[in-house]
Amino acid sequence: MRIHLERRLEARRGHRALVTVLSVVAALLLGAVFLVLTGRSPIAVYTEMFRAAFLSFFGITDSLAVAIPLILTGLAAAVAFRMQLYNIGAEGQLYVGAIFASWAALALTPGMPNPVAIIIVFVFGALGGGLWILAPAIARAWLGTSEIITTLLLNFVALYLMRYLIYGSASFWRDPTSTNFPQGKPIPEEAFLPVITSTRVHLGLAVALLAAVLLWVLFSRTRFGYDVRVVGDSPGAARYAGISVPRTVIIIMLISGALAGLAGAGEVAGIAHTLDPNGLAVNFGYTGIIVAALARSNPFGVVAVAILLGGLQNAGTALQSIPGGGGVPVEVSYMLQGAILLCALAGELFIRYRLRVRRGLPDELVEDDNRSAVAEGTKP
Amino acid sequence: MNDAVWVLTLAAAVSAGTPLVFAAVGEILAERSGVLNLGVEGMMLLGAVTAFLAANASGSVIVGLVAGTLAGGGLALVHAFLSVTMRANQIVSGLALVIFGTGLATFLGSPIEGDPLKPGVTNFRIPGLADIPAIGKILFDQDPLVYVSWVVVALAAFYLTRTRTGLALRACGESPETADAMGLSVARLRYVHVVIGGLLAGAGGAYQILARVPSWSGAGTTAGIGWIALALVVFAAWRPWRALLGAYLFGAALAANFALQAAGVNVIPAEFLSMLPYLLTILVLVVLSASSARRRLGAPAALGVPYAREER
Repeated sequence: MRIHLERRLEARRGHRALVTVLSVVAALLLGAVFLVLTGRSPIAVYTEMFRAAFLSFFGITDSLAVAIPLILTGLAAAVAFRMQLYNIGAEGQLYVGAIFASWAALALTPGMPNPVAIIIVFVFGALGGGLWILAPAIARAWLGTSEIITTLLLNFVALYLMRYLIYGSASFWRDPTSTNFPQGKPIPEEAFLPVITSTRVHLGLAVALLAAVLLWVLFSRTRFGYDVRVVGDSPGAARYAGISVPRTVIIIMLISGALAGLAGAGEVAGIAHTLDPNGLAVNFGYTGIIVAALARSNPFGVVAVAILLGGLQNAGTALQSIPGGGGVPVEVSYMLQGAILLCALAGELFIRYRLRVRRGLPDELVEDDNRSAVAEGTKP
Repeated sequence: MNDAVWVLTLAAAVSAGTPLVFAAVGEILAERSGVLNLGVEGMMLLGAVTAFLAANASGSVIVGLVAGTLAGGGLALVHAFLSVTMRANQIVSGLALVIFGTGLATFLGSPIEGDPLKPGVTNFRIPGLADIPAIGKILFDQDPLVYVSWVVVALAAFYLTRTRTGLALRACGESPETADAMGLSVARLRYVHVVIGGLLAGAGGAYQILARVPSWSGAGTTAGIGWIALALVVFAAWRPWRALLGAYLFGAALAANFALQAAGVNVIPAEFLSMLPYLLTILVLVVLSASSARRRLGAPAALGVPYAREER
């Protein structure tokens, strides 16, 4: 008897959803192993997490608030994935977006009408994010330098830059009255994002949803979106078709960086109302990669997955602070997010292949079978 | 004896570069088999936290090192399973490994954050050699794991160029179809070397916590050196001895902080000094790819491509 893999001609839609759900279940089981190893009851922890994230009004709204940056960083990763580009630097682009947005809020917006101030803050956030990916984009487009490592390493540079501005110097961003415990200067109220009454859900949600719709339009309804797919699948063919590969690479990477920058602006103007390095460095950028991978780069899928993972992250934070949490650290949510991605990757195989168990068939027959399958064009 | 600042700095560079040596040589072996494993940072971090927990529980550095090494190998096994058996996208799988490894390591490490390491690593002066002026202090008055890393490099270089299995490994990374036709098991070769890569990354992480940083500080314990190790593989053109040299170069950038403080220079803020290794790595990658002739030099031809036998 041998187990044998056969490529499916096409993936079925229902199948995909089922595999995704099973991946989440498998990840929870994997997480349970480590919870038991550290002396906790997985059932109690998971029940508490679910309750904290989704079973109360403020639980739901807090989860949504966490989902806002995740939608944007998820879209940032998804845009690049579409072209087989990997922007692992959304984390740093988010920080720099926050730095730019808080500068604009502090320096430009005092005395301005609220809507104008908000637009300025978001524009500067996008500029900051775009600027932070510019060098990797140029290097990738013209020199072919792998964008994976360059974008990732710039995350550390951005982190140190942000720390320098608040903790390491008396910069424009730092509150001069906070001497013992350095903090960012509060931004003026003119630049605050409106929130849904008494919750943390801010206008950034509308921006994130709008971005998802615009990207969907861009990819499925425009010439440029088509070009992007061609370049991603075959740069050679794209060149032959007269599409400028470096130009497409740079535009896509700039869009990706700008989206991550918007997430940073949203956190500054909607949540912290200052440049707060600790509040920003909570892996929004890295989680965005998981969001995009689980959503298979579909903009609307990104929204759905971001809400799910936002709930998970919110639950992790809540679990740390509530008495019933049993001292479960916030990191439990990062572990589970990673486990979900690993399991989804394994599940991908069952979407692309069919498992066939054969009994006693000679190897040669199996080989022949496959050769003809290849000839019929089942190869991707 | 009072050593000059530059001697102490170079000695620190060797020590700072040692985790990179372990991780980069491991990644070279994995990539030579044709599997790209971007998960180095995750494996190092999991190796570090496991080493810390095991060392403090047992009171022995060696137990810590072994446990950390095994943890890295265990995580690499997941990548091998996903990329070889499940034929997943190796880039996404590697990233998943980083995210899961970081999450798991920080989860396991959160109760011990800031705790001191009980057993310590002490330097071992190699008799005779350690008395050579300057060079003795830089190279031969280090902890034993530094010497172990040289042995690892020598073994890896010998293995790759002078043994039958090493040749098979390279064939597997250059042309898996040919390796398969030669009767080699591509899947087995890839599994074994991805796991060896993980073991070495785990050892690198263990070294970082046992000999470099005083306590567990979450993801900041390795602070991206796993990614620097990946860049180092490209820099070294997939050759172990060059990786050793490169590791000390990057080690010097990591140790620059220490050097400038020792020299009494405080014009440059600490945060900017901390950026140095990352910026240097980016610069090196860009310069390497700028000369197109060098870009592909040494890269295994089948790197990152899943091998499906029935789709030859």
